[in-house]
Amino acid sequence: MMREPTIKSWRSAEQWLLGSMALALGVVAGIWLLLGPTPMAAPHFAALALLIAALAASLILMGRVGRTRRQMEAMLQGRMSAEARATETLRNSEAQWKEVFEHNPVMYFMVDATGTVLSVNTFGAAQLGYSVSELLGKSVLRVFPAEEQRAAQSNVAVCLENIGQPHNWEICKVRKDGSALWVRENAKAVRRLDGRLIVLIACEDITERKQAENALRQSEMYLAEAQRLSRTGSFGWRIASGEVIWSEETFRMFGYDKAPSIKHATIFQRVHPDDRARVEQTIDRASRDGKDFAHGYRLLMPDGSVKHVHATARAVMGASGEVEFVGAVTDVTARKRAEMELHEAQATLAHVTRVTALGELAASIAHEVNQPLAAVVTNAAACRRWLDRKPPDLKEARGTLESIIKDGNRAGEVIQRVRALVNKAPDQKAVLNINDVINEVISLVQHELLNHRISLRLELSPALPLAVADRVQLQQVILNLVVNGIEAMQPVMDRPRELVIRTCQDDLGQIMVTVKDCGVGLAAENADRLFDAFFTTKSGGMGMGLSICRSIVGAHGGRLSASGNSGPGATFHFTLPLDQEGTP
Amino acid sequence: MTGRRTSPSLASAEDPIVFVVDDDSSVRESLSSLFRSVGLRVEAFGSAHEFLQCKLPNVPSCLILDIRLPRLSGLDFQAELAKADIQIPVIFMTGHGDIPMTVRAMKAGAVDFLTKPFRDQDMLDAVTAAIERDRNSRDEAKVLSNLHELFATLTPRERQVMALVTTGLMNKQIAAEIGLAEITVKIHRGHIMRKMGAKSLPDLVRMAELLEIGPPSGQPQT
Ligand SMILES: Nc1ncnc2c1ncn2[C@@H]1O[C@H](COP(=O)(O)OP(=O)(O)O)[C@@H](O)[C@H]1O
Ligand SMILES: [Mg+2]
Repeated sequence: MMREPTIKSWRSAEQWLLGSMALALGVVAGIWLLLGPTPMAAPHFAALALLIAALAASLILMGRVGRTRRQMEAMLQGRMSAEARATETLRNSEAQWKEVFEHNPVMYFMVDATGTVLSVNTFGAAQLGYSVSELLGKSVLRVFPAEEQRAAQSNVAVCLENIGQPHNWEICKVRKDGSALWVRENAKAVRRLDGRLIVLIACEDITERKQAENALRQSEMYLAEAQRLSRTGSFGWRIASGEVIWSEETFRMFGYDKAPSIKHATIFQRVHPDDRARVEQTIDRASRDGKDFAHGYRLLMPDGSVKHVHATARAVMGASGEVEFVGAVTDVTARKRAEMELHEAQATLAHVTRVTALGELAASIAHEVNQPLAAVVTNAAACRRWLDRKPPDLKEARGTLESIIKDGNRAGEVIQRVRALVNKAPDQKAVLNINDVINEVISLVQHELLNHRISLRLELSPALPLAVADRVQLQQVILNLVVNGIEAMQPVMDRPRELVIRTCQDDLGQIMVTVKDCGVGLAAENADRLFDAFFTTKSGGMGMGLSICRSIVGAHGGRLSASGNSGPGATFHFTLPLDQEGTP
Repeated sequence: MTGRRTSPSLASAEDPIVFVVDDDSSVRESLSSLFRSVGLRVEAFGSAHEFLQCKLPNVPSCLILDIRLPRLSGLDFQAELAKADIQIPVIFMTGHGDIPMTVRAMKAGAVDFLTKPFRDQDMLDAVTAAIERDRNSRDEAKVLSNLHELFATLTPRERQVMALVTTGLMNKQIAAEIGLAEITVKIHRGHIMRKMGAKSLPDLVRMAELLEIGPPSGQPQT
């Protein structure tokens, strides 16, 4: 802007200088000629000549100078236009850069060593909700929330300590309106020409990514927490590589340190030796079939404690097109223990009611033992008399001995049955024929039935499949149902008292046992309370019979239910699933 | 199940017979063996009903009955027999704790009861006694029916005279009583003694007692 006038003024000054010099010489010569003609002498002429020559030389020089100057001017002129072009170009690119600097979607800050903002681009200020002027000259800390200010300061300090080296970090800023803005900052400290240290910072907005990350972290945290709370770990298993990936909770459950992946061999180490073969089998089969699987097993922990876990896995098609399993494993130890305790309590209760029931049947049972005993004694006496005859009748004697053996065994069996019912034996599931169980119970209540003038009709299907069940428990169920039937028929005077026990297979092929009486029947209002503990309509009743029966049948995978008869009385039936392999 | 056992064929039709009714075949068979071992005829039944179906022979006998029987209990059965006028001594077998039933059975005329298990000798003694008793009552019944037959051959006048004679009246008193000559009374008396087969007056008096005949009142005189 200033150059052009400078050049022009310089040229005219030169012209003026030369012109005025020539004019001054002319004036001096004229004056001198007019005022001093007297001493017109030779030196005067010489001086005059010299003067004239000087004037002439000046004029020539002026001409020369003018020419040179014109040449120079022309030269300068050329150079000036090139310069102007360069300047123009520079100006343009500067503007462009300015544009970029101001509006690039990157926030630029320049701060001094104390953290004062020396420069900030428009975009950067706008992102934070400020105008540029609002930030200039202010501490950069105002754009950081209180909890990040220390980090911001130390970040700047790190840059200052390593001048020229770039650093980057992620940090949260706060907008003017108080909202948070996550940024990733690239920064380095440089020394300005004037020797001042400044820090240049470029930051990009990563709020969205950060939010996604946070959301992910949060959900991972929820998941981990949920896994911990539910004692359920997850796992993935790539069949091809044999690689198993566990969640944190799974590692915790198995008592291993976290690792990126784990091998089955390591897992098997934790499986209880008694369960190991079965678990290996399941895993083998799964790796062969690639089908969903589920299994329960125990873990033997290094401290000797035992955990019960249950794992379920689903086969999915992995990204690589190979089958992978995704599954969950749950620590069911607490549940198992509770189940065991509940079971224990139920067993105790069942035992108590069993003994009570037997107590009520004591007279009948005594009779059941007494009958064969009486026969034994009588036979023995008869035997002696056969032998005492002259001659002894050995054939008859032997006959009585056979009877003695038979009746002795019979008495023993009754006692054994009673003892089994009285004993508090642990569960002993075995394959059995339900008809046998019914006959065993009948042998104990036969006389109870007689005493109550009840006729018993047995309709036992001869072709029943076997069941897997606890004999004593089933005896208890049948005993309870029969005794209830007897009690229900006690008030009946106007019709024959008949109890029917029937076995058959239902539509599903399950074993079904039916006990039907023609007693007082079920009152509609009691229908849903019959099976409740302590529900009884009897003055001396305990109300535990049906409740225990239902839990026993339930524990066998069956169902006990009651219904009214079309005629008088009630019918109770229960089902038992068939003997299937793989019952837990 | 009947479980019926008959005695060895060598026993004569007049031999006494023991009937056993018990629903338990072991008990039934052991009793049969015991009775047979001492030479008693036995017939055993599983229920009261079966026993009632059978035609009872006219020989001294007794019935051994379990007090707890299916359907018809021992006690009810005893009542049923009484109703049907079947006179047979009943020996009950009971279990423990059957005391109230036993008392009722005894009141209803049971001759004995034995608690299972019993001693064989006790059972045999009870049976022997029962059979003896049955034999006696059967004998008595026979004597009585004979007397009735003889008595039926007397004329009404003879019966009248017999009633008075057995009260201890003299011929003369009888003649006065019924308005006959003394000699006529004496002739009637002779007929009565002959027809009734009486050896002496006391003999005739005993017969009259069995036949339960005599005037409504009056002191017998010897
Ligand atoms: N066969 C039946 N007929 C009618 N009512 C029955 C029968 N069995 C059970 N009940 C009813 O169910 C109730 C509960 O039976 P249960 O659990 O065996 O206890 P309790 O026999 O001690 O009363 C009985 O009191 C009775 O009211
Ligand atoms: Mg009950």
